[in-house]
Order: sequence, then structure tokens, then C-alpha cells
Amino acid sequence: MKILEVSNINKSFGDFQAVNDISFSIEEGKIFGLLGPNGAGKTTTIRMIMNIIAPDSGTVSVLGKPNFGTAIDNVGYLPEERGMYRKMKVNEMLLFQTSLKSMKKKDAKVAIDNWLGKVDLLDWKNKKIEELSKGMQQKIQFIGTILHNPKLLILDEPFGGLDPINQNLIKDLMLEVKKNGTTIIFSTHVMEHAEKLCDEIFLINKSKEVLYGKLEEIKKSFGRENVLIEFDGNDEFLKNCDQIKKFNNYGNSVEVQLIKDGDSQKLLREAMASAFVSKFEIKEPSLHDIFIETVGEDNEEGGEA
Amino acid sequence: MSRKILAIIKREFWSRAKTKGFIIGTLIFPLFLVLIFGGIFIVQKVFQPSTRVYHVIDQTEIIYDKFSVILTDTLKNGKPKFQFVEEKVEDGNLDATMEKLQVKVRDEQIYGYLVVPSDVVESREIKYSATSVSDFEEQGALRWAFSKVISDMRLERKGLNADSIRHEIGMGNVKLVSSQVTDKGEIEKSGASSFLLTYILAYVMFLMMMIYGAMIMRSVIEEKSQRITEMIVSAISPFELMLGKIIGICALGITQLLVFGFMLFFIVKYGEPIVVGLGATDMGFIEIIKNIHFTLPIFLFFLFFFIMGFVLFSSIYAAIGAMVNTEDEGQQFMPPVIILLMVSYFVMFATVKNPATPMAFWASLVPFFTPLVMFGRIAVSDPTMPSGAYLSIFTMIFFTILMIWLAGKIYRVGILMYGKKPSIKEAIKWIRYK
Repeated sequence: MKILEVSNINKSFGDFQAVNDISFSIEEGKIFGLLGPNGAGKTTTIRMIMNIIAPDSGTVSVLGKPNFGTAIDNVGYLPEERGMYRKMKVNEMLLFQTSLKSMKKKDAKVAIDNWLGKVDLLDWKNKKIEELSKGMQQKIQFIGTILHNPKLLILDEPFGGLDPINQNLIKDLMLEVKKNGTTIIFSTHVMEHAEKLCDEIFLINKSKEVLYGKLEEIKKSFGRENVLIEFDGNDEFLKNCDQIKKFNNYGNSVEVQLIKDGDSQKLLREAMASAFVSKFEIKEPSLHDIFIETVGEDNEEGGEA
Repeated sequence: MSRKILAIIKREFWSRAKTKGFIIGTLIFPLFLVLIFGGIFIVQKVFQPSTRVYHVIDQTEIIYDKFSVILTDTLKNGKPKFQFVEEKVEDGNLDATMEKLQVKVRDEQIYGYLVVPSDVVESREIKYSATSVSDFEEQGALRWAFSKVISDMRLERKGLNADSIRHEIGMGNVKLVSSQVTDKGEIEKSGASSFLLTYILAYVMFLMMMIYGAMIMRSVIEEKSQRITEMIVSAISPFELMLGKIIGICALGITQLLVFGFMLFFIVKYGEPIVVGLGATDMGFIEIIKNIHFTLPIFLFFLFFFIMGFVLFSSIYAAIGAMVNTEDEGQQFMPPVIILLMVSYFVMFATVKNPATPMAFWASLVPFFTPLVMFGRIAVSDPTMPSGAYLSIFTMIFFTILMIWLAGKIYRVGILMYGKKPSIKEAIKWIRYK
């Protein structure tokens, strides 16, 4: 069953087209990555999925229901712009969030204790939000979106502004939620996360679809064009070999991208002719490489938000 | 859906009702009143003035005997307020006698002295000397007593009987028994107390609309600046969120009003015997409140107009909150709203005196004025409904619904807009957004 179906949605703000004819669908139980550089249209797409803004044209159907309807209580949503009432206690805040999802108070209390325990924050249950560190607040925000055990979890930049330890923690929580059968869609511009987590990706750039499909298949389609060479000696071969499209030289190791259908063995022969090769490895392209290749290097500047 | 609005209402209500500020404010205000009036009472009791001794130099030699028996006022402890001693001029030297008395005043042996000149009936001037000449009440009493003696003397000089004249003048005093013509016949009612009640209630309504309206705005700004809004509107529509806020904070205001009301009721009911038991004779404040003619219809009308006015103004406040990013920015939009409220209070003031004029009729048709003005007119005309009452109430209800709808449109777009605050023109454009 398709948990989410997005068909030909468009959205413009004045003269600016934020989302241009986007379509995709998600299978139950998968993790789906909505990838793209900053300003590509990820948040606008997610807001249209969440029915916070209406698309100019096109349709969204969640759990088989167009524009949510009653499905809204089965969805968890962590917006990119997220915060909490600073003066509220952790427990009150979480209870408030579950009541917005029509969850019974009794069930909510059990779920709150359960999840607070999992992230080691049970002792903070009756503390005010403003007393918590930023990392703790982000955990609480995440918990707030999954307490009601949603069928679909939508996370907009879940790793934004987190240190590596907390990034890892959120990643683990996502995997735990997935184990319970929840389908997850999340947006990010950091490809490493997507690479580790996603079953499927949708790459969006300048409001349009660039790549869409299963991560493995996308990687395969990009072929085996990346070569890592560790060597000692003259690096002349890098300039001379006609099989090289571009390379990144780190001194005694180099990452090489071959031209389309390039001959890796010819590169090896030329390298061996001018230098001592200690390692020669043909690599699968990383999502990062795919991202940069498809989106173009001028878009990479965005960096961490 | 309604259960979710309830969640918003509950949060808006309890997150404020549980704060120390609210609890203290709600309980302290009536206690503050009690303390002020209790304090005045205690201060009066503790700092009672002692008997004031005046020496009187009477150069007419007849006035003193008449004058000294008039002022028989006593202090709260039963002692006389005034004590007079006749001072004879020694050796015909007035100045020396006065100097002697001045020393006594300075040494605080006596409070002051009075010099009645021999031609006082013509000159009508009496010299009053004391270390402090600022006690007008006391001087008034002295002046009144002397005036009585002198006017009696002048009347008698014309061969008139002062006592009988005074008696006849007193008998000529007329009292106006005011009664109001209503549908159900005439009702006796004191003009002053019904105005007082109306002014007080309208003022409370005005204050509550201003304070609690601003609370709505701050609440919206908090959610916006703390980035909470998007999480909420993913579960509930922005319009429902706005309604939930308005209802929750309105309920908070009504709660506070009811607490004030109950406390005032108990203070009046149980305060009086306590104060009397403490030996009070002047009930002042409590007497005023007891005379107020407070009926159930007036109470219900008060609640009705308070709720309507609150909803009307808070929808404006909510729209402002959605348009801005910080409280400072919000403050810039406040003056027009506050001026509108103040004007409506002044218009109420003017119309209550003449509730049946065309001006009152038209003023109550302006939806922003209706809550205060119409309440004022209804309260003073109670139990008759003043002209145009139903028309203005329906106009107000219609307009309020329109304002909520418009505010909801602006709110919906504004709460997700961060960055530069929009101009009024842009905000109006938001209304047409899909």
C-alpha cells in the first residue's frame, strides 16, 4: 500500500516557483529521503504534504485519503522551524502534543515515560523546557512527534543544528521507529545521513525533480566510475591519462572520476608506469558524489544550515 | 476536531492561570482594596488628633460666651475636639497679650489663638493663629461657628428671631425622590449609584479588553518567535488555533472577574460586622458598594458585552500578532487599537448621561463602540432596553464574525511568515490568498 502519494504538485509565491511538478510515492515501512540543496523546495513540498499550505495544482494523498482528512492523527511531523513553549514542563508539553493527535491521556502517559526512558530524560520530566540544554530539547521535540505511534513520520531537516552525537541519537531513534512499522520521510541536504538511512531518495533542485528511485539502483546507474589510488612518486599520469574526467589529489592518494565508460585498467597501467601504486580501488559512487554531479558544484556552497 | 480546540483552550488557560503572576494578581487586587480601606481606618484610629486648645481674645466681650458652646464635636475616643479658653487682654495691651500667646503656641501648650475684634459684626474678620494653618476642616468648623454667632447678632439687630428664621429655612429644603419610568411602571432608583455602577463596570470591561487583548497578541508572537506554530497547525487548522486562543484567554479573564466579584461580595457581607466590631462609625466604602443596585440582568449583559467586545478586539490583536515577529514590532500596531478602545470608553461616558439621544443611538451602532456604549446605556436604563439595542447587538455580532473571519485569513498566512513584517497593504493581500 502506498502510504503517501504526491501527484504533480506545483506551488508559486508571487513570481517565484517554489515547487515545479513534483510527483512521488512511498511504500509502507520504508525510509524515504527528500534531498536537495538549501532553497530547492523541500520544505515547501513537505508543507504541502502536511496540508499547511495548499498546492496551486496537483494532489496529495496520505494513507489513501486526499488532503489528510482523518489521517492527520496517524502522521507525525517535525517541522524545520521547531520550538517549544519555554515555560511549560516537559511532561505538559508532550501531553499537549498528544492531545493534538487525539491520543488518550492514559496512553499518552505510558508512551511519554517509555520514550523519555529511552533517551535518558525521565529525570527531566517535570522540568521546564527552558531549563533543558539544546540537545535535550531536540530529543524532546523528536519524541513529541512519535508518541502517538504514527503510521507516517515526516521530518524536515531532523539533523539540522545537531552535534554529531545527537545526530547519531536521532538516527538511532529513526531506525527504532522504523522497526515499529512506521514509514519515514525526511528531508536533508547532508548526503551522509541519507546514504545511511534511505531506502529511496528523491533529489530536488531548483524546484524540480532531478533523481528519483531506490538508492541502490541509482548508485548502480551511476556506474563504477570512481577510483581511489594510493601511490608514491610522480603524479604526471593524472594530467596525461585521457580516461580521467576529474580528480581530487591529496598528495599520496587521489580520488579519480573516470569519463563515461572509461577504462579503469588503462588508468592503472599509466599510473604504474610513472609511480609506485600501493592501492587501486574501484568504488561505488557515494550519494555525495551523485549529488554534486547532478546538482552541480555551484550549488554545494550552501553547506550546513 | 472540537476536542483539539479544547486542548488549545486548556493550554492557553492553564499555562497562564497557574503562573504566580496571575494568582497573585487575582488575589492581591481585592486584598489591596481591603488593605487600603482597612489601612485608612487603622491610620485614623491610631493617629487620632488630641483635643485642640484655643485661646480666644474676645474684644466684644459678648461673642465668646455664645461661640464657645457651639462646637461640641467629639473625637473617636469621646473627648471633645475643641477646647476654648477665654484670654483677657492684660492692661489694655493687645500686642503683649498676643506675644504671650505666641510663646504658648510655640511651646505647644496650646494649639492656637483667635482674636475677635470689637467691630467684628461689621468687619467680619477674625484673626486665626496656629503653627499649622493647613487644616481646612478645622478652620471650616471655626468659621461656621463664628458665622452663626455673627449672623444671629445681625438678625437680632434688625429685630428678627434668628432661631425661627433658621428653622423655616431648614424646613424649606426639598428632596428629589427620583424614579425611573419603565415598561413595568415607575421604579424608585438612586441616580448616583446606578451611574457609579455603570462607570465602574464599563471601566473594568475596558481594562480587561485592553490587558487580555494584548495577552492574545503576546501569545501569538510567542508561538511565532519560538517556532511552535508550525507543529500546532500540522494538527489543527490555524483558524481553530486562533479560536482556541481567544476562547482560552477569554475564559481566563472571566475567571479573574468572577474571583474579584466573589471576593468583593464576601468583603461587603462579612467585612461590615468586622469593621463595626472594631469600632468604626464611618463605613464609607462599604456603604457605597452596598447602595449599588446590581441585578442579574446587568451581570448577564456585562458578561455578554465583555465576551463580544473581547472577541472583537482580540481578533484584531491576533491578526497583529501574526503579522509581526517580536513584541516590539507588535507595540507599533497597538496605539490605533488602544485609541479605539479609549474613544469607545469616552463615548460611553457621554452617552450614559443621556442614554436616549440620537447621538447615543448612533454611537452604539458603531461595532467597536457597541460593547461599552450599549452596555452603559442598558445598565442605566435597566430594566428597559434603550432604543436601537437589538439592532446594535445584531450589527455587532455580524461585524465580530466578519472580523474573526478576516483575522483568521491574515493569521493563517502570517504565523508562518518569518522575517520582515508586512505593511498593512500586504496583510490585506493575504486575505485573498488561497
